[in-house]
Amino acid sequence: MSSAYARRRGRTGLAFVTPFMLIFTLFMIVPLAYAIDQSLYSTKLIGGTSFSGFANYAAVLQSGAFWGGVIRVVIFGAIQIPVMLAIATFFATIFDLGVAKWGRVFRAIYFVPFAVPIVVSSLMWGFLFDPMYGPFNRFMNAVGFHDFDWMSSALMLPTIIIIAIWEWTGYNCVILYTALKSVPRDVVEAAILDDTPLWKIVARIKLPMVRPALIMLVFINMIGAMQLFVEPTILNNYSPGVVTNTWTPVIDIYSTSIPNGEYQLGAAMAVVLALIIVAISVVSLAFRNRRKEFG
Amino acid sequence: MWSKKRSPTIATAGAASIAAITLLAACSSGGGSSSSSSSTTAAASASASASSSASASGSPSILAGGNCSSSATQLTFWAWVPGMSRAVTEFNATHPSICVTLEDPGAGESEYTPLNNALKAGTGAPDVAELEFDVLPGYEIQHQLVNLVPYGANNYKSDFAAWAWAQVSQGSGVYAMPSDFGPMGFYYDQQTLAKYHLTPPATWAQFAADAVKLHGENPKAYLINFPANDPQWLMDMMAQAGAWPFKYTGGASLTINWTGPAQEKFAAFWQQLINAHAVAAITDLSTEMNTDLDTGVLGAAIYSAWAPSYFAPDVKHSVGQWRAAALPQWTAGAGVGSDWGGSTYPVFSQSKHPAQAAEFSEWLTASSQSWSIVKTPPSSLFPTYLPTLQSSSFKSLTYPISGTSQPNQVFSAGALSIPLTTWPPFMTQVLNQGMSTFGGVVTGKETLAQAFATFQQQEVSYAKSQGFNVSE
Repeated sequence: MSSAYARRRGRTGLAFVTPFMLIFTLFMIVPLAYAIDQSLYSTKLIGGTSFSGFANYAAVLQSGAFWGGVIRVVIFGAIQIPVMLAIATFFATIFDLGVAKWGRVFRAIYFVPFAVPIVVSSLMWGFLFDPMYGPFNRFMNAVGFHDFDWMSSALMLPTIIIIAIWEWTGYNCVILYTALKSVPRDVVEAAILDDTPLWKIVARIKLPMVRPALIMLVFINMIGAMQLFVEPTILNNYSPGVVTNTWTPVIDIYSTSIPNGEYQLGAAMAVVLALIIVAISVVSLAFRNRRKEFG
Repeated sequence: MWSKKRSPTIATAGAASIAAITLLAACSSGGGSSSSSSSTTAAASASASASSSASASGSPSILAGGNCSSSATQLTFWAWVPGMSRAVTEFNATHPSICVTLEDPGAGESEYTPLNNALKAGTGAPDVAELEFDVLPGYEIQHQLVNLVPYGANNYKSDFAAWAWAQVSQGSGVYAMPSDFGPMGFYYDQQTLAKYHLTPPATWAQFAADAVKLHGENPKAYLINFPANDPQWLMDMMAQAGAWPFKYTGGASLTINWTGPAQEKFAAFWQQLINAHAVAAITDLSTEMNTDLDTGVLGAAIYSAWAPSYFAPDVKHSVGQWRAAALPQWTAGAGVGSDWGGSTYPVFSQSKHPAQAAEFSEWLTASSQSWSIVKTPPSSLFPTYLPTLQSSSFKSLTYPISGTSQPNQVFSAGALSIPLTTWPPFMTQVLNQGMSTFGGVVTGKETLAQAFATFQQQEVSYAKSQGFNVSE
């Protein structure tokens, strides 16, 4: 192989990669590096800006409020993700089997919530859960729970879980449906020829073959859960005081940076949260590699 | 939500037009409050927060200016008061050597966030912008405002209500020109009060007795709403009670006191009414609160001078019945008032034309030409400028919701008896933290005194982290 060819090939590759790398560097690497750089400084109203090393990180690691928020979103994910995936898998299977009439139509309908901006859906659910006029509350009243408050301190998280499930089930369903569709037909046909019952085809053949997609969804949803922000922010308008300014890590980062003006501390919090998310991603990759389900 | 900022100036604008109402909605999200668990929703405020965030992300719209002579000095001006473009147009017409361009980035925080970014970046800030009284010290401490004394500001000192002038002064410097403010009063529906055989209470003791009596006679109704999670309203009430929790006069020393005897007395007073369920707990300045006022669920509100124009668009049943009275007093006959909100117009140190910017700010706030415009709807500003404030034509203004009564008589009198207060130089943080901390009082999770104690710790710790010498 001539070296000229290798060089030319290298140049061509570079030309293809450059546009992506430029944008990636500009919008991902540079801001990331800037945030890390910022997180090493402190600005005080009295005293100005000075290098403070890892002082901001020490503050974040010792902040009970920040970790309280982290625990809250972990609980959120631990409940929301399994329930949502169970529902999504159920519907994806039904659509895949083609046993439902109007499958195509329902698939589209279930996908619609994903197309609704989260701010809009949070507002809408806020009205539905309203303690005085909301239909959900009338229902609770009708079945004997008076003065039921869906947005009280105790129920805010479960309420947001319901909203998040509504928002994301359709999206997850579509991905699972696509994965189910890609299961080779001959495998299923062979099973049918062997007189395998339908439930067995689903449980023993189809679902195991889409496990990579399921695992990917688990981790993608976990990363999303860590960044919970919009729903609690909007619902706080219906029930003030329930969602505190440290309720989730991202709310904490926002309120530390913007209203409190502690941008560098906010940057340190963002880096810590990013590290948590990176850790989740690494575990996810390792998990998929171990199972030989990746790459 | 956190760090919501009320912008009463905007509220002032209420006037009538639909446009003004939309704007109000956008700003009152600043009000930040919302419904309580015990009652109701914050429809308006929730949708408002959506619209205000939308306006925050959008680029400011240019409302006036842009067609002056090319030799004129170009100034950029940010403000959110509706109808402000009328004053700017008038200024440009009468000052051909200066050309002011008005942009509206949105109320309160919607403006402060891009403003702070521009000030940090060192470029892009306007020459003059609307700032509320409470955030001024935060800009002063960062040396972001021009001292207006060399530009003749002190010539206008005697033209302004003493409280307002004290607010814009620090040491020997004057860092903004005061514009409007909101003297507070007891704003009530005379028919609702008459129904329960009540008259405006002269003292807080009488007020408490009336609140209990009214709720006792009609468990669905309240004399008043107590929005604990609105730190601005709460602090303004504390000022009247002699329980102001901050002392700051510039520099590195700061006093924070939410747990002294006066503060505890204030907290205990309201807590007894909360415990007796004698006060409602709904979103401050929300459509719902206005509806409750209109339908007699609430008999009165501790509102400010901009209330009539703010409240008017929602009044349907009680037109003509609204009256203003002085605030109830802690000591009978003491005649102590308070202020809720208000705006100023500083010149930023980034400005390349501070002299012209100061000239504009002084004209806008301290000239009768300007006030003849901005006192009218949709701006409807309540003047700190004494020649307008004390003019009989202003005091005798009537509003349809108040029938033939003249609420400005009461509010103007209250304007001259406001206790002097000083804001800490990080009010955005105070409001943000306060909304979060006081939320539990509304939901019954904690008492007001407990919230005060928690808040004391939070504020002391924040102030120390910002390098202040804190006295408690």
